[in-house]
Amino acid sequence: MAKPRHVRGLDPDRRLRFNGRRILVTRLDEVYAYDGDVADPARVRELHDMRIACKRLRYLLEIFDVAFEADLLPYIDEVRALQDVLGDIHDCDVQVPMLEEHLAWLGAREGAAARELVAAATADGVAADDEVAYQSFAGSLADTRHDTERPGMHALIARRRRERDRLHAHFVSEWARLKRERFRARLEEALGGP
Amino acid sequence: MARAWPVPGLRPRARFRAAAGLVIVTRWREMMSYRGGTLAGEDIEELHNMRVSSRRLRAAMDAFEAAFPRAEYRGYLRQVKEITDTLGDARDLDVAMERLDALLPQMAGDERAGLRGLIARYRAQRAREDPHIAALFERLEAEDFGPRLEAFVAEHTGVVATELNPQPT
Repeated sequence: MAKPRHVRGLDPDRRLRFNGRRILVTRLDEVYAYDGDVADPARVRELHDMRIACKRLRYLLEIFDVAFEADLLPYIDEVRALQDVLGDIHDCDVQVPMLEEHLAWLGAREGAAARELVAAATADGVAADDEVAYQSFAGSLADTRHDTERPGMHALIARRRRERDRLHAHFVSEWARLKRERFRARLEEALGGP
Repeated sequence: MARAWPVPGLRPRARFRAAAGLVIVTRWREMMSYRGGTLAGEDIEELHNMRVSSRRLRAAMDAFEAAFPRAEYRGYLRQVKEITDTLGDARDLDVAMERLDALLPQMAGDERAGLRGLIARYRAQRAREDPHIAALFERLEAEDFGPRLEAFVAEHTGVVATELNPQPT
């Protein structure tokens, strides 16, 4: 996660507006720093970092709002919407590996249960009737399987991947709209001069 | 999600330093107002509200860092981050279970067993989070964290928490 940049020229004994503007302009610049990367859906880290940058900017707009004459609420709403869609993309990016890990966990549990069964069967010695012994072992082995749980996991993974594609396309179109509508210039104008 | 508490005395022409004290004290008290409900664990919204408040507090502490001596302030900030992270681990599991529950009716019959299995695993993980949360707040109390933070803020901003006495809307 990218750390926020140090803001120069702050003076705690001056007004909230004087300092708030400096901080907000720096954090706005941090959001735009990801502009060249985020159209690529494979840039998982940059998309996540841009979400964090949006979150910082949004919270700061809410904190410093009181100091500005212009109504910052429409800007807060735009940043929140962008943060939300980036958050949903991040959820998919986190959830797919978690579901894959769950599948691996099911497999590991099956493996451990099968090893215990083999150990128990070996300790019991060879049964008099091979067929009965085999059927009993096969039945116990089947009970340890998690086959019924796998289709749901695969379906969920596929669903999240489709959702991620849709969300990223939506994000790219929203980001293009904000740039077309001169979001940055308008917000800087709303924050006024130094 | 609960609304942020209004910040008493915060005016458009406030000095940055005074504003720092007003906002941080209000957000600290707001966050701690959910402590009892979070520890009781009867309503997941209490923990959610506490986490949201802790993020507001953390954002405020980031915003007003320039009003405080850096090294000592960083110690308080780290502690608030730990609160957010600890609550976040539990909240993430609450959200994951809620979403999976909501998805169940949309899934085909043979896909539901997997979701139910995953929900059961998350439920077991979630039960292990409560003792972490309780231990964190016990430690904060034993270390007198709240009174120390409020005294530190008062020293550098002039804002006294007991006089400000912020309240929900």
